[in-house]
Amino acid sequence: MARVPLAEIGRPRDAFLDQQSYERNLEHMRGLEQTLEERRAQVAQGWGEKYLERVHQKGKLSARERIDRLKDPGSRVFEVLTFVNHGRVFGKLECPGAGVVCAWVRVHDRWTMVIANDNTVASGSWWPQTPEKIQRAQQMALRLRLPVIYLVDCSGLFLPEQSRSFPGRTGAGHIFKKNSELSAAGVPQIAGVFGDCIAGGGYMPIISDRVYMTEQAYMVIAGAALIKGAKSLHLSSLDIGGPEVHVHQSACADVRVPDDETALERIRDEVAKLPGSGADFYRHGVAAAEPARPAKELCGLFPKDHRMTYEIEEVLARLVDRSQFWELLPDRGREMFTGVGRVGGLYVGFVANRQGIVADPEHHSAKKPAGILYREGIAKISSFSRACESDGIPIVWLQDISGFDIGVEAERQGLLGYGSNLIYTNSTNATPMFTVLLRKASGAGYYAMAGLPYEPVVQLSTTVARQSVMEGRTLAIAAYNTKLDDDFEVLATDPKERAEVEAGMREVEARIEGDMSPYQSASQMDTDELVGFGELRPWLVALAEMAYQATGHRRIKNPRIWSLHDTEALSEPRG
Amino acid sequence: MFRKLLIANRGEVAVRVARACRELGIAPVGVASAADLGAGWLERMDEVVCLGPAAARSSYLRREAVLQAALQTRCAAVHPGWGFLAEDPAFASLCQQHGVTFVGPDAGLMERMGRKAPAKAAMRAAGVAVIPGSEGVLDSASEATAGAAEVGFPVILKADAGGGGRGMRRVDRAADLERRFAEATAEAEAAFGSGALYLEKYLEGGRHIEVQLLCDGHGHAIHLGERDCSIQRNHQKLLEESPSPALDRDRAAELGASAARAAGSLGYLGAGTIEFLRSEEGALYFMEMNTRLQVEHPVSELVSGVDIVVEQLRVAANEALAPRTLAARRSGHAIECRINAEDPDRGFRPSPGRLTAFDLPTDGGPGTVRVDTHLAAGEQVSPHYDSLIAKVIAHAPTRAAAIETMERALAAARIEGVATTIPLHRAVLASEAFRAGEYDTRAIPGFRATAGAPAEARG
Repeated sequence: MARVPLAEIGRPRDAFLDQQSYERNLEHMRGLEQTLEERRAQVAQGWGEKYLERVHQKGKLSARERIDRLKDPGSRVFEVLTFVNHGRVFGKLECPGAGVVCAWVRVHDRWTMVIANDNTVASGSWWPQTPEKIQRAQQMALRLRLPVIYLVDCSGLFLPEQSRSFPGRTGAGHIFKKNSELSAAGVPQIAGVFGDCIAGGGYMPIISDRVYMTEQAYMVIAGAALIKGAKSLHLSSLDIGGPEVHVHQSACADVRVPDDETALERIRDEVAKLPGSGADFYRHGVAAAEPARPAKELCGLFPKDHRMTYEIEEVLARLVDRSQFWELLPDRGREMFTGVGRVGGLYVGFVANRQGIVADPEHHSAKKPAGILYREGIAKISSFSRACESDGIPIVWLQDISGFDIGVEAERQGLLGYGSNLIYTNSTNATPMFTVLLRKASGAGYYAMAGLPYEPVVQLSTTVARQSVMEGRTLAIAAYNTKLDDDFEVLATDPKERAEVEAGMREVEARIEGDMSPYQSASQMDTDELVGFGELRPWLVALAEMAYQATGHRRIKNPRIWSLHDTEALSEPRG
Repeated sequence: MFRKLLIANRGEVAVRVARACRELGIAPVGVASAADLGAGWLERMDEVVCLGPAAARSSYLRREAVLQAALQTRCAAVHPGWGFLAEDPAFASLCQQHGVTFVGPDAGLMERMGRKAPAKAAMRAAGVAVIPGSEGVLDSASEATAGAAEVGFPVILKADAGGGGRGMRRVDRAADLERRFAEATAEAEAAFGSGALYLEKYLEGGRHIEVQLLCDGHGHAIHLGERDCSIQRNHQKLLEESPSPALDRDRAAELGASAARAAGSLGYLGAGTIEFLRSEEGALYFMEMNTRLQVEHPVSELVSGVDIVVEQLRVAANEALAPRTLAARRSGHAIECRINAEDPDRGFRPSPGRLTAFDLPTDGGPGTVRVDTHLAAGEQVSPHYDSLIAKVIAHAPTRAAAIETMERALAAARIEGVATTIPLHRAVLASEAFRAGEYDTRAIPGFRATAGAPAEARG
């Protein structure tokens, strides 16, 4: 039957988790998420009040104020790459958010990617990793064919650090290549120029389809400071590259507007002229609905100790509309959980790790730990991933994975081969994929489940996400292998030598734990954004809408003819 | 039109829907709990699927089981009747997902109207007066204090997701507000999983007046006049009439038209009812919308000549409302008495048992009498479910004649084996207050016990 037979999953929270444990989990998680909120607020401050005032004194708005005026009233802004360069110091200076705000912003009911130079951080200049952050945001928009809006106010490269942001493959100039690629792919780009746009900043808007300039804006290859004789001629940068020049003489910009507010209003008007979102069409007549099991409970489902388990069905029940889900291949590869649900009314495929203990299909009546990739589970998610690709269903990967199975049997079965097949599948999928690191993202499991190196459109990490090749303890064992016995106990009998080995192992473990901090990961751009569990559902709703917004660029099969029905038909027991 | 339809209900409404199915040539499929198997009313069905044990939550309320019954009998549609799954958006959405037409509005709209704050907002937007109070849910007790100051005490706090009086608190003075707010929040959180509250001015007494609506997918949104359902006991409606003696005809026409406009602007589909509270001062306020067929629908059927269930089914099959429905005019006066197997002398205790006699004559005049029932002499009144055993509906050119017709019908009724509410109805009909049309939701005219019920009732 070519219906999508969604059925209710999940139970009321008190049916599987007692109040005390729930509250304990909640308290722990809320602490972590409060830190997240505080750090976000810190980034949003830029260089602080003094610099914000300076912007206001010029009669301009800050990047975040601009975004606030640009968005549909009451809509939520989904910022990405917030923590790039978090905790890094250049000379004595920090650059919150790498001096640029990148965010999904709803304008006239269409999702757009807004890239706005943070003019409260060194006049919006580009720091190490700023180009990479901008390019990553451009890439997200390119993948989904969503309009990009540049709110440009940028004094060029932060020159003291130029060697780290200019010459490399992803150096600043690569932004303009991305501008070109977006344009070549038919993605609308709109630029508002609000102030200094020097050198790189000057190039950035030009490829956009529409360029607005305020009366305070200028775009120059080099500013007045570098022009010989400018001083005696009393030439300012505004004289050299202001709207008078670029709107009327050079044609490098289209429209001049008096101020920030007007520019933003006009940009909104431009977005309204673009095709509307296809999302409602692809809801197939069904309205979005909240999960029957409250999404806000997610925060309390995850135990404080990352080695403790939880039920993945209960997580899904709190992410999908009405807690209705169609689980596919439920009896095979039980360590994996795959299926389809509606998110904001739109069909989304989910691949998630089951935790705890599952049946071992290779050994009758034996059990094995889940949260690991075994042969059957790999085959299951690979075929599910390919079926979603064939059907044009966006995939959400919910990772809590310790890695691939290891050992004699695993090698004999050819897990390297099965894993590579999965990697090939995910690497060549064109359907939008989104990855969420719920907790562990370890080893090749992180790769095989569409971790960042496999270029999901967006990868989100929770505050308890842990990316690593191996856990600290495991690495300590590997590093001290020669000093351990078969059970990984220290061989030495001499107390002093024992203490040395143990201390060494502890140090390795501690360093690895520190490196696994999600903030460090976000700072290094090893993940796209940190989110609280309570935000996960709104994020997924927004991402689903984005995935179905642009029409005509990718396959979206109607649910009658999904390949998933074949998967289902072939997995039904005979007779 | 559908060929086969599952009636996801029991008893009187199942029989009523089956009759409409026959009218349209649809084969009705019944469902029954184990306790209902063998009941006479199931003989009206072409097939019957057993859902599970007697308890409603193990049978009539099991969404998956009901859906499965529809799928395995190859029904194209499901009529939920009233009660049970009739206002369950999760069931409506499951049906839709599995290709079975749910006879009723879209799950999203049902959900919106099922939550108080969005329903009020939708009505306000559609230009219908709502009871003064908070705009949407309250964020804090201090917001409640501000709201109460604006509308004046007494006020009532209600759970946004609520019903049945839970999460509801009347507050008479500002000093109590904070405590009551905390109590109601906790109660609502426990009962509905959401502690969201809103605030309204508390209106004492008043009349419960509702408008019967029909909307199709072809741009028609009409009303079939109003019903006055103010005679209630503990929120349970006992007797309904149309038109309401409390409204003059111009006001009634205006009310009907505004309700129809509101339903149309919501994109409503099928049969529905908008309930209003008429305050003692005469103002009419929106209370809630029932997105389903109601028990008292025959009152409107008799004054309008429209078969509401037939029209519901036509709309569900995406046909337009019939021309004669669109042109329907209302004439005369109709009264409905709900006959329950309850003992009015013993605090309305349910009185199940075998009906040794069950005769409700319809030929007493002067007007016409219709009896809707699923029972016959010799049959059993089940102790497991709602105690409604019959509805007697009288129609005559004038209200006085309708009362006279009803009095004669009830006087001639012979029901033995169980106690019934007929004595109560006869007392109401005989009372001066009822005859004068002057009554409200607080007391049952002609009946000694006062009900003390706020003006919100199921029906």
